[in-house]
Amino acid sequence: MKFYKPDNLNELLGYINNLENKFYLLAGGTDINVQIKNGFINDEEIIYINHLDELRNIEDSERELKLGTLVTFAEILNSDLISNNFPFLQESLKNFASPLLQNMATIGGNIANGSPTADVLPLLLVLEAKLELVSSNSSRVVEIKDYFTGYKKTLLKSDEIIKNIILSKDKYHLFTKKLYKKVGARNALTIAKAAIACLIKTNNQVIEDFVIAAGSLNEFARRLYRVENYLIGKKFSELDYTEIETLLRKEITPISDIRSDKEYRFQVFYNLLENFLTV
Amino acid sequence: MKNERKFDARPKVIGTHKFVDDYHYDGMIYGALIYSKVHHGKIRKITYPNDFKLSEFTIVKLEDIPGKILIPEPETDQPFFADKEVFFYGQIILAVAHPNKNILNNFVKKIKIEYEELSAITDIKETLDNKENTFGKQIIIDHRRNVKVEKNWLKTHSVYYTPHQEQAYLETQAMIAKYDEQNEEMFILGTMQCPFFVKEAVETILGDKIKSVQVETSEGIGGGFGGKEDFPNLLAGITALLSFKSKLPVKIVLDRSDDITITTKRHPARIEVETYTDPQTNKIRKMNVDYRLDAGFYQTLSPVVLSRGVLHASGGYNIEDVYIHGRLIRSNTPPNGAFRGFGAPQAFFAIESHIEKIASELKIESYQFRKINIFRKGDEFPSTQKISEDNLFDCFESIVEKSDYLTKYEKYKKFNQTHKDKLGIGLAIGYHGGGYTGNGEKVLDSEIKIKIDKKAIVTIYISNVDMGQGAHTTLAQLFSETIDHPFELTNVHIPNTKICPNSGPTVASRTIYIVGNMVSDLARKIKKDFGFDNLKNFVKQNKQIFPKEFSAKYKPDPNISFDENTYQGTGYKDYSWAACAVELYYHADTYQIELLNCWSMLDIGHVVNPKIAVGQAEGGVLQALAYGSSEFFYKKGFGRMHGFTDYTLPTTMDIPKLFIDFIHTDNEIAKGLGEVPMDYPAPAVRNAFFNATGIFIDEIPLIPETIFHAMKKEKKL
Amino acid sequence: MKISFTLNNKKVSIDTEPTKRLLDVLREDFKMMEVKESCGEGECGACTVLLDDKPVTSCLLNIIHVEGKKVFTSEGLSKKFLGKLLIDCFDETNAVQCGFCFPGFLVTSYHYLKTDGEANLEKIKVALSGNICRCTGYQKIFESVMLACLRNDSTGGKS
Ligand SMILES: Cc1cc2nc3c(=O)[nH]c(=O)nc-3n(C[C@H](O)[C@H](O)[C@H](O)COP(=O)(O)OP(=O)(O)OC[C@H]3O[C@@H](n4cnc5c(N)ncnc54)[C@H](O)[C@@H]3O)c2cc1C
Ligand code: FES
Ligand code: FES
Repeated sequence: MKFYKPDNLNELLGYINNLENKFYLLAGGTDINVQIKNGFINDEEIIYINHLDELRNIEDSERELKLGTLVTFAEILNSDLISNNFPFLQESLKNFASPLLQNMATIGGNIANGSPTADVLPLLLVLEAKLELVSSNSSRVVEIKDYFTGYKKTLLKSDEIIKNIILSKDKYHLFTKKLYKKVGARNALTIAKAAIACLIKTNNQVIEDFVIAAGSLNEFARRLYRVENYLIGKKFSELDYTEIETLLRKEITPISDIRSDKEYRFQVFYNLLENFLTV
Repeated sequence: MKNERKFDARPKVIGTHKFVDDYHYDGMIYGALIYSKVHHGKIRKITYPNDFKLSEFTIVKLEDIPGKILIPEPETDQPFFADKEVFFYGQIILAVAHPNKNILNNFVKKIKIEYEELSAITDIKETLDNKENTFGKQIIIDHRRNVKVEKNWLKTHSVYYTPHQEQAYLETQAMIAKYDEQNEEMFILGTMQCPFFVKEAVETILGDKIKSVQVETSEGIGGGFGGKEDFPNLLAGITALLSFKSKLPVKIVLDRSDDITITTKRHPARIEVETYTDPQTNKIRKMNVDYRLDAGFYQTLSPVVLSRGVLHASGGYNIEDVYIHGRLIRSNTPPNGAFRGFGAPQAFFAIESHIEKIASELKIESYQFRKINIFRKGDEFPSTQKISEDNLFDCFESIVEKSDYLTKYEKYKKFNQTHKDKLGIGLAIGYHGGGYTGNGEKVLDSEIKIKIDKKAIVTIYISNVDMGQGAHTTLAQLFSETIDHPFELTNVHIPNTKICPNSGPTVASRTIYIVGNMVSDLARKIKKDFGFDNLKNFVKQNKQIFPKEFSAKYKPDPNISFDENTYQGTGYKDYSWAACAVELYYHADTYQIELLNCWSMLDIGHVVNPKIAVGQAEGGVLQALAYGSSEFFYKKGFGRMHGFTDYTLPTTMDIPKLFIDFIHTDNEIAKGLGEVPMDYPAPAVRNAFFNATGIFIDEIPLIPETIFHAMKKEKKL
Repeated sequence: MKISFTLNNKKVSIDTEPTKRLLDVLREDFKMMEVKESCGEGECGACTVLLDDKPVTSCLLNIIHVEGKKVFTSEGLSKKFLGKLLIDCFDETNAVQCGFCFPGFLVTSYHYLKTDGEANLEKIKVALSGNICRCTGYQKIFESVMLACLRNDSTGGKS
């Protein structure tokens, strides 16, 4: 296994700019080490980045909170900045893996690993987060909703890394009710069979704004725009749940695998949404 | 009844207590097992990677076996290695050893085996539904009494299914073999429950190439639960063969995913129950049970699991006319083996679910129904063995009271009428025959030895292991209490087949019940023979006699007998009895059940060390609750689990409050404790769910997917 | 690559593959057999150690990660006040069964005592939720940690 440890971010970006073969960035290592053990990573180069403190900051400004890619889940759960600005994010991630893993796993790794089950994705999707991607000669900001293009396929170019996760404070406080639920086989150390995140803004029984995202139910975690479009502007009393179900069927395409089956996954997601809208 | 502390607790917590992987010998090399990755097929070709020096590796296969190729078992039918055909995913084809672990792993990853795949049966229901696949000896317990079925009797019929369960001992299977070429001796060190079985296996595979085999257990045994009853025989045989061929010490430690893939599990079962109940008296008058176990491809231990299964299959109820038919069914999966309960948890799941079904058809509360039919003193088992005590009934009554079952039952009924989410409380009873089935203990002919030295230090020599159940502490305590000798001066020697007599395997809840009571008897005998009051003083005054050894053999009760052909007679001399109530909350949105409370009342006779006993029961109960609610190794659609990521064990966040109590502890005899807590909680979970929702589910575990589909079927959605 | 770190209060260094698992370095190179491997994929906590005062699973950590940091194993912690207190409590309640999981539980409980220490069952459950025990049903582990919290409180949190 080839290995490289850059001295700083610039050196890292320069180095990967010249790399031709596939490589992995070693952040918290909680995904990578399992992949090595299971023989999915063999001879690819491993580049250590966990010591690059410039990727570990939580930066607060008036309208944004910027999380460096190396921010761990434990840091998210303990950060005052996050609890002041996005208590929902903190509350929702309490069941991430286990306290032991929370001390190692990074938010950037969770996104970059690209699993449709990643806990943080439905949350970032409804919070309309942005990702700052950098390479040796460019820096761009993309919306998380556009980041995934297929199963484990993303916009990230081979010479880029995720630098920051940017959360906008503009809309967050307008939402009146929030839901996040990960449905797993147990209450700790569990990978989502299905996950739902939604935020709603209501006024006089009218849904003024609504965002919803699903995890583990498609090839990648995504927003469900058809459902959003249907709901926004409607009164609760005029909601047609058969219609919602039909729309959902178009939006989520769960599969049966070692963790659950597709009918169950669909129904649970539907139930959680229905409860959120009716209770 | 004293809470002596475990002698090994502190080093275990610190981590200095040694498990197999913590041992090292000079020149030791590492071994790995290469096993079939198809369910059934002919081996076409084995290709070793060419970028390695083949000469550095020791490779063993079937043709390298100098002795016999079949592993000694109750049914001797499994070879150490596959020959030209593999019959299950996980069947060992060859083993390799090398001085460097990394090189070994890379080499193993690159070995290519080509197969011509053949048809295979791997689905549990498909296996068990098809009687054609029956193999091995069948067992019939015929307690038919020509009871005539009246027209108005209620016929209740159901088929129940239970899954595999993985023991999931935290220390994976591991073995070290050290061959002494000069003296033609093989030394084995391993994590195991049955050192003398392992010895026999090593003697079998090496035949007359060696003069003697010595087997010792590691200091710590990281859990067994039955999983280290017979697989270590296979592993020790192969490790010994590698050591014999390489002439070096060899260590094999299984990786978790290999362990879960190839080792034995609890047998999946299909149990069909048909009963006839008189609605006037609410008494079950007649019962037929068809009890089937998925044995895997070879029989190995399955016949003895089957025999315990059928002897527990009619549950704790007095039924005049009973017919039980037990059989093994073959599938292309690894042989299933021992797991805490040994055929009984499957039986109790079926019967305790069935009782609930009859009660609901009779429209009476299942508590009342159980009470009418439950064993009372003087009743009899289908084996005609008489029930000698009312202890099952007492466990049952006290658990109903402790859990406040009747109040809650009514309260939840009301709650459930107005809520989507549901609350439920369910009951179940169970029992476990202590020791080997039938004449087993007579055949085992166990022997123990006790040595007292000049300082009055007592050492107990036995072959039973302490795998966490606290057996060695409890045995030492038994000796010390029986003749009032200081506990600190009483030890148990680490099991070693050269030093310790064969007191039998560490299985069947027999260590305290059989061996422990032998220790107490011998202690009493020593005291009586010498006529002392205080051993320490006696030794002081009679130094010239010591050190001295004493030994004793198991004395079977001459008044009991068991017919192995008809299964009539005394199946087990003593039974441990138990009852429990489980309370749960059902989440309608996710179809998940959340276990809230579980009360157990057990009669295990004399409780030697209450804290150890409670700990044992808590652990067993949690395994059983998980058996009922979450654990499975294979399920259609889901496939097979590969490791702890898929096979989800309960974490600290998944468990209800556990309440453990013991009843009738004034008994002189310490009865079996290891297994009984496993026998009854799973059906109580199911019954609680039934009471909560009215949905009758005939299989475990009650994972949300199963619940969801059951609800859909009953159109409650 | 040469990696230096502090191991149970001692400065150590080792020349090895930077991606070697911390678990393997501790067991193979430093013969610290108290660090156990059970699942090798972060699911059981048998391999838990403290890394810069935080409990982590050493089977998912590459040694490069440890450069310049502090590592404590169960054995190292067993010499500290809170470690001793916990061992006493585990012993007293007869909580320990096969013991394979316990070095991990000691490390995690130690961290809980050190950073929170409230005798609160729900909090303790959360803190220990990355450690699996197959033998005990957890009740006696909770009982022991609760006991340690109470005793530590009564000594005025003398840690
Ligand atoms: C026992 C266990 C339990 C788990 N439970 C959960 C859970 O409950 N929920 C959940 O969502 N996940 C879970 N996971 C998965 C994993 O912990 C998370 O995905 C974690 O966030 C990964 O982060 P890491 O820093 O460890 O990633 P690493 O393993 O270091 O890297 C993962 C991937 O991300 C890439 N990468 C990392 N950083 C960057 C970057 N800055 N730019 C571009 N690419 C990058 C790497 O190349 C690699 O492919 C679990 C894993 C284990 C082993
Ligand atoms: S061995 Fe590291 S968590 Fe299981
Ligand atoms: S004591 Fe055996 S796994 Fe915890």
